[in-house]
Amino acid sequence: MNSNVLPVGPYHPLLEEAEYFTLTLDGETVTDIDLDIGWMHRGHELISERKTFTQSIYLVERICGICSTSHPLACVHAVEDVDNIEIPERAAYIRTLVGELERIHSHLLWIGLAGHFIGYDTLWMWAWKYREPILDMFEIISGNRNHYGVMRVGGVAVDVHPERISELKKIVDMVDSKMHMIAKAAKDDPVLKSRLVGVGVLSKQDAIDYCAVGPTARASGVHTDVRKDEPNDAYGMVDFNEIVCENGDVYDKLVVRVLETLESTKIVRQCLDKLETVKGPILNNVKEISMGEGIGRYEAPRGEVFHYVRTDGTNTPVRHKVRAPSYVNIPTFQASCKGIPVADALITLASVDPCYCCTERSIKIIDPNRDPLGIDIMKLSRDKTEQIRREVYGG
Amino acid sequence: MHEVDEFLSKMGSKIGLVINKKKRLYFEVENGNLHEVVTYLFKDLGCRLSTATAMEVYRGVEVLYQFSHDASGQYFCPRVVMTDKKKPVMNSITPIVTGAGWIEREMAEYWNISFTGHPRPEPLLTKNHPRGEGLGQPFRIRRTS
Repeated sequence: MNSNVLPVGPYHPLLEEAEYFTLTLDGETVTDIDLDIGWMHRGHELISERKTFTQSIYLVERICGICSTSHPLACVHAVEDVDNIEIPERAAYIRTLVGELERIHSHLLWIGLAGHFIGYDTLWMWAWKYREPILDMFEIISGNRNHYGVMRVGGVAVDVHPERISELKKIVDMVDSKMHMIAKAAKDDPVLKSRLVGVGVLSKQDAIDYCAVGPTARASGVHTDVRKDEPNDAYGMVDFNEIVCENGDVYDKLVVRVLETLESTKIVRQCLDKLETVKGPILNNVKEISMGEGIGRYEAPRGEVFHYVRTDGTNTPVRHKVRAPSYVNIPTFQASCKGIPVADALITLASVDPCYCCTERSIKIIDPNRDPLGIDIMKLSRDKTEQIRREVYGG
Repeated sequence: MHEVDEFLSKMGSKIGLVINKKKRLYFEVENGNLHEVVTYLFKDLGCRLSTATAMEVYRGVEVLYQFSHDASGQYFCPRVVMTDKKKPVMNSITPIVTGAGWIEREMAEYWNISFTGHPRPEPLLTKNHPRGEGLGQPFRIRRTS
């Protein structure tokens, strides 16, 4: 077979984290994919085992800039699970409020990038424009636009000031109306539909076999959402729907995220309403953690974040295991990328929302035994969208 | 709690020490019974593997799998302890649960565990890196619990 090897990474604009995919091509068809990680190991687990529980929260907050609430939330859930520690009701609403705001800004970030990757820059600019007010909300609540420092074992560290709630509600109403506009544009656009429907399909069985999580699994018809399965914090006290699609293609992953954003605005409104009426403390005084083990998880924007701690009665964990959702979603490429055109590989790789960065790099064949192809995978992806656009609208 | 009762009635004879907490069931399992227990959890009960955690304990090297029963929020955590700290060997569950492939390869690198029957027993994190650069058993703090 006359095949070529196309490396993507380890540093590529598609990937926020340094990861390395090797695509084997037969003509323009991807016949195999190999995944190589380990380029960005930072030793968080080991460092955490030398920190106190409170220090660990700040540490895990810095695992991911986008999920800087999800990791600390899963971490405090794990420590609280050791002793079945309860938190005040007001703290539960604040945790859920911050967690859902993070989901909105993360999904908007992905929707924008996905649009950019396929040459649909209008979607990109809209999504990122309306992500900014969400970051403003974080600043109003915590003083920071990122790494909010809200979570604590036994509650939260910052309260939402009653006089700022009306301001927060106005922002979320504005974002909600714009999200409806983006949802309509994304769902009704014939070019977007033609470009993404049937691309990079992950079957339901494959999603189950690979233990996929989050929108990646839900787009394939798998019901898995920590917010419903194990409703921590205020999730058992607010009304929202779990969004599940059936086809498992990139389009369904887009639809899941867009509709989840609307569900998140619904949850944020309910939390803000409750924060006007539910008064009381925001933090229970937890003096010590006994010996034992605890599991903590949270439905991050990309799926279940999992933390496990084992304690020995001191104020540091003996073992702290962290598993981010991308760790289980990225291997699904071995099922979703085989047999697709190389022009669709970029958006398929991006569809599970692995962490992105803004480093711009071109792709070159690095195998010294082959002639360099000089394929620009981004250009191929955008060219295909342009071709569909011409077929739909003429010209 | 229906799932826990069902699991204990079917697999009770295959498992050892059980710690039953609120929505968490930790239990020990012999390496020889691991496949049967995991097959029951994954295929019959419909659990999802969240991840697995390895650590060094006073008895040896321990691997703790964390299976989530999403429909109920219940966790089932089979624990395998290998007493030979120098050459820990246990069965791989990847032939049953494809999603265990990466985490077992990672644990093999960190704790030098040999997972028998793993379809791809090669390094995950250090495949294209100099061996031992920031990873591997000598770099971990050895603690007991």
